[in-house]
Amino acid sequence: MTTEQRKDSAPEKRDPDITSPLAASYFTDFSWMKRSRQWGTRAPRGPGGLTLEAINIGVYGDLPDDWDEPSRMPRGTYPVAGAVPLGPAFISKKSRQWADHAPQLYEESISRRWSTATDVPWESAHDLPRDVELAMCQVATELSHIGSIEAEVVSSWLELLSYGFHEVKLCLSRQVFESARQFEGWRKRALLNVDQLGLESPGWANRMLLESRVGWTETCLALHVLRGSYLLTLLRYLAAYGPSEADRALAGGMVADKARHIAYGMEHSRYALSSEPEFRDSWNRALVGAEAAVNRDEDDHVLQEALAIVFGGGVRGMDAGMELVQRMRRDWTRAYLARMDWIGLDRDPWLTPRMRENLDGPSANGTADAAGEAAG
Amino acid sequence: MTTTASEPTASESAANGAGSNGAQATGPFDELMSFAQERGYKLDWLRKAEIWGSGEESDLSRGGLLLQDLAGSDPAEVPAESDNLTGRPRGTQPRPVAPRVGNYRVRTKADIWLRNAAELYEEAVQRQWSSATDIPWHTLTELPDDIEAAECKLATFLTEIEFVAGDVPGRWISEITPEYFEPRMFLISQVVDEARHLDVFRKRALANGGGLMERNPRAGSDVFAGTIDSARDFTEMSAKLHISGEGSVLTIFRMGERMAYNDAEKMIYRLAASDEARHVAFGVMHLQYLGQTMPERREEIHSYLDEAERGLITGTNQNPAANANPSNAALAILLGGGKDKIEEGQKLALAMRQRQVKEYVQRVTVAGFGERFEEGRSAGEMLRAYASA
Repeated sequence: MTTEQRKDSAPEKRDPDITSPLAASYFTDFSWMKRSRQWGTRAPRGPGGLTLEAINIGVYGDLPDDWDEPSRMPRGTYPVAGAVPLGPAFISKKSRQWADHAPQLYEESISRRWSTATDVPWESAHDLPRDVELAMCQVATELSHIGSIEAEVVSSWLELLSYGFHEVKLCLSRQVFESARQFEGWRKRALLNVDQLGLESPGWANRMLLESRVGWTETCLALHVLRGSYLLTLLRYLAAYGPSEADRALAGGMVADKARHIAYGMEHSRYALSSEPEFRDSWNRALVGAEAAVNRDEDDHVLQEALAIVFGGGVRGMDAGMELVQRMRRDWTRAYLARMDWIGLDRDPWLTPRMRENLDGPSANGTADAAGEAAG
Repeated sequence: MTTTASEPTASESAANGAGSNGAQATGPFDELMSFAQERGYKLDWLRKAEIWGSGEESDLSRGGLLLQDLAGSDPAEVPAESDNLTGRPRGTQPRPVAPRVGNYRVRTKADIWLRNAAELYEEAVQRQWSSATDIPWHTLTELPDDIEAAECKLATFLTEIEFVAGDVPGRWISEITPEYFEPRMFLISQVVDEARHLDVFRKRALANGGGLMERNPRAGSDVFAGTIDSARDFTEMSAKLHISGEGSVLTIFRMGERMAYNDAEKMIYRLAASDEARHVAFGVMHLQYLGQTMPERREEIHSYLDEAERGLITGTNQNPAANANPSNAALAILLGGGKDKIEEGQKLALAMRQRQVKEYVQRVTVAGFGERFEEGRSAGEMLRAYASA
């Protein structure tokens, strides 16, 4: 067949090739213009602007108990037949990810944005006594390491959470960002006056969190409620007893971040438990091992001694500082148990002797009592 | 409680040339150690910090205390390979007993590195914005139905693809050793940027009457191989996501003034473009670094760019300006000023596609792979046809 003959042949009738650069000429179908599930939607603005919560109106606020759409279809869009499913199996149940406060926590995180580069008075942290500086470097190194691992933990779950509950993904993306801030803020502090970082974190709680693949809710209990309680208390103590204005400001900023993480964890865990109370015993049982990992880290003498120097104002004040460390351990354990109780998990029958030791706290001492109350 | 200042301060020690190692320390420091050890404290860790600095300066006029200014941030000091499996960030002193928890796939510097990741991260932190309060939503006024439908169609497309742009970098964060934390930090900032884009376009769709429209009919249609989602090599993913995918969206955002009908929409495109520019810069700078340090991978990278170019043209998952896509028709309606002016709008959409191709070529050239456009390696004919139809 010659070229001329080919030209004269009737073209074969077939569907448009969407990969063709000339395919635009095929596009004359405007039926898509009518494909809105809720034409007329006008989300109201409130005092906080146009928030995620405000746009959850009508069909866009319908939250199914199970999101079985296997693709990235945003909730409330007009569906298309034949959409190709994505590979990973999503966590589809609402009960395994949702928290009513997730949209507010997301917006709050953004509205309270801050920067370790410019919002910390770093110049106030020069010229500290040498022992205090080295101790602070060690504390900061460990907190930095923990922040780095927490960013890994949460980010590794992000894509497994369902696209139907995007508010949770958004809220947790902010958590990853704030964990990154914990990493870089404390790294800046550690290297502010010392050219070398301290020892890495012992790593037992880090391992427990990284290797927790049983479920997001279980990870949440361990990450947000258990280790989160420990970290929040530690940050509060640093916000109260940090050796410089910079240390106190840095820790104080992170207290607000961490409190949001815990708020999500508590709200989600309570919702999960109320939806699936049959998991109560298994979660209680699983937490015994998680608590042991946190206890193993906090028993490490390096961080204990460093904190004792920081809280005590130097090596010569370590005895008093160590009393505060013990007070801190009691405080975080109490706070943790209270949070678990709010969630609906009574830890008392499951508590290990080690956790009970924490609860006993230091020997009665007026100074430590007053200091603990100030930090709390 | 106040701190006791009986011991030499950091700067005094530095001025005296004293190390903090117990053996080199000044007398009072040794006395302190003895004091503590007599009370049962070990303080063995305290002796490990040996080098004193004179204090990092925080100059607010230069952006404050920045990650890239810290000790140990010199790229030359960053190791080419990492056997760090305990998850400790670079420079942290190891503990012999620490468990190996880091199942990191990316442990080679060239696979992830770029010169300015820390700078891009710090810029991202400084330029965070709020879709709730930084967009002048009050400027939204009722629009003709065809314009509102087109705005909402585009917003629906964008809110869906931002899921990809957030989840995929998120997936890689835990795959990269913290030895190379700077690129990781940038990817984390990208995840929150994309979350904000997802939320702002969803808000736009639900704020002015249209609602979310039909989803992208071709979303996820390339699921088997060679996609942003499926890439098992970081550079492949980055070339397709950052350079091709986000690059094409950046062009659209930069032309946002032409398709915005109020100040709210203008601000959305302006702020989103600022974020997207960082993401594209990351991809270009990483590709440049890889090309310079691993020349043996250049042909392989070219093959990824071949696929990226096809993705740019067909628009699967990433390019709303691609032909035969309802979002392209929406763009034309917005650019032309209505459904009845779609012909005029198509001309402007064509200009948009031409600009996409021009900017893509420029980015790949800056990344050091411009020879593909001269040697016929690129899908040049397809790109030309894309930019002329």
